[in-house]
Amino acid sequence: MDADAARVSLWLAGLTALTLLPASVWLARWLATSASPARPLIEAALLLPLLLPPTVIGFYLLTTLGGASPVGAWLADHLGLRLVFSFEGLLFASWLINLPFMVQPLQRAFAAIPRSVREAAWVSGLSGWRTFWRIELPLAWPGVLAGAALTFAHTLGEFGVVLMVGGNIAGQTRTLSIAIYDRVQAFDNAAANRMSLLLVALSLAALVIVFALGRRNALQER
Amino acid sequence: MLSVEVYQDAPVPLAARFDCKPGEMVALVGPSGSGKSTLLRCIAGLMHPARGRIASGERVWFDGSTRTRLAPQERRVGLVFQHYALFPHLSALRNVALASPRDDADSHAADLLARMGLGQLTSRRPSELSGGQQQRVALARALAREPEVLLLDEPFSAVDQPARHELYRELAELHRGVALPMVLVTHDLHEARRLADRMVIIDGGTTLQQGTPAQVLSQPRNARVAGLVGIQNHFEGVFFHGDDPQWGRLCWGSREGPQLLVRDKHRIEEGALVSWVVPAEFIGVHRSEPGGANVLRARLAEALPLGDIALCRFEIEGLRAAVQLHQTTAQLQRGELVVGEPVFLQFDPAGVHIMPRRALPAPH
Repeated sequence: MDADAARVSLWLAGLTALTLLPASVWLARWLATSASPARPLIEAALLLPLLLPPTVIGFYLLTTLGGASPVGAWLADHLGLRLVFSFEGLLFASWLINLPFMVQPLQRAFAAIPRSVREAAWVSGLSGWRTFWRIELPLAWPGVLAGAALTFAHTLGEFGVVLMVGGNIAGQTRTLSIAIYDRVQAFDNAAANRMSLLLVALSLAALVIVFALGRRNALQER
Repeated sequence: MLSVEVYQDAPVPLAARFDCKPGEMVALVGPSGSGKSTLLRCIAGLMHPARGRIASGERVWFDGSTRTRLAPQERRVGLVFQHYALFPHLSALRNVALASPRDDADSHAADLLARMGLGQLTSRRPSELSGGQQQRVALARALAREPEVLLLDEPFSAVDQPARHELYRELAELHRGVALPMVLVTHDLHEARRLADRMVIIDGGTTLQQGTPAQVLSQPRNARVAGLVGIQNHFEGVFFHGDDPQWGRLCWGSREGPQLLVRDKHRIEEGALVSWVVPAEFIGVHRSEPGGANVLRARLAEALPLGDIALCRFEIEGLRAAVQLHQTTAQLQRGELVVGEPVFLQFDPAGVHIMPRRALPAPH
């Protein structure tokens, strides 16, 4: 078992789920309630990471953010940020590829709140902000947890983008999925098996949480 | 006093004007899609009409000319939604307390719920309450806001019949006890008649007529109103002035139809095609020919028993028209009225109300 890889994987998955959440809540709520003509375009763009091969996303990130590119050079010069072959780069790539996993369940949860409930809050004197905190977010809570759990599980299992953007630096960018690939290449099937089992268990636990919450939500609506 | 005047062309056309005094209940009555709920949403600030003015006392909530548009939170409106729109994740107490502006919101909410007979159910969530109980929570929430105006959007539509009668009684009690302008949206005429002091008839977003239920039902302004308020005995005819300026002649159906003596208010031209209505209480049913004017021969064509009363259809001799009246089932059982037998119908001129055939445009 590569303990460093497990630590990087868990840290990356946890951090991605946590840091992606606020922006996703905002975006999902906007998508659920907005009548903007730009909405279909944004919804389509959000789903793109689901359809494209991870290597394609990884390739574009690598060429856009690499030190030789204008963006990469600007980030390095002005912010001291290196977004390829670094943990920060992995986190950034994780945000992009996990947007659909986080936003979709949230959007469905916000869309399920009847408009009249929101309006009842306003008529009851609650400001937009209080309506969000006291009414909308608690009602969308199962969606929040489902989005976070799916993002966590998907980040744990991500391989292509991680390899392209992060490379394979022990303790920094080598995640469990890359360590498994490494071990198989070295004919160390026992270690690969242990790590694979750990990934299966973690992903299964995350999915059980998603389904359990979905069930609870259905019961509440009845 | 709540005064409402709203106009717009799209998306829902509106041309409505009415007011509601403190302690008064005004019913907005019209068919589905007539714009009643849209009007209520305009009053609550959930949407803004293109033009007009909405004010509660001295406070202007909306004014199209000065672009005044207060948000719902600034309007002090209590609104009971059609399906209540309770907060499903909160207890009845929290639902009500959230709307209370007082420092002691919880005890204020508990008081209101106790007044609604829900003192024992304050910790239940909406899904654990019956339709009638949910409606009471929604009403308590609307009152917790300490509103200047109470709005009720079809509040009884989701409640079953037995619970509805109990809720009618409670709302009537509340109406007597609270000095607020109250606006009730309903498509149920009986509900409006039973609860409201005044009715505003709305169709296509336009107020067609307003008045007490008795006024609107006995003197609909035009044929459209008569149709909307479901007046059964609604006919057509031709009007002529008489020799006596106070009296005119109404020819039933056509110029050749049987004539009735009617009051002449000099609002209708000679020979004009008219619609006319006559409330049931102004029609007498006799087995032998009575004295006086406006007696027509008819035949009891059908009697549909409805418990203690029966809906009877009388066909007028020489006419295709039929008059529908409720008679007691006892009269039928005693043989005072027999299906197929002739009768005499006498029309009291005081109850015959004549209207121009074409609907008049609404006032702007």
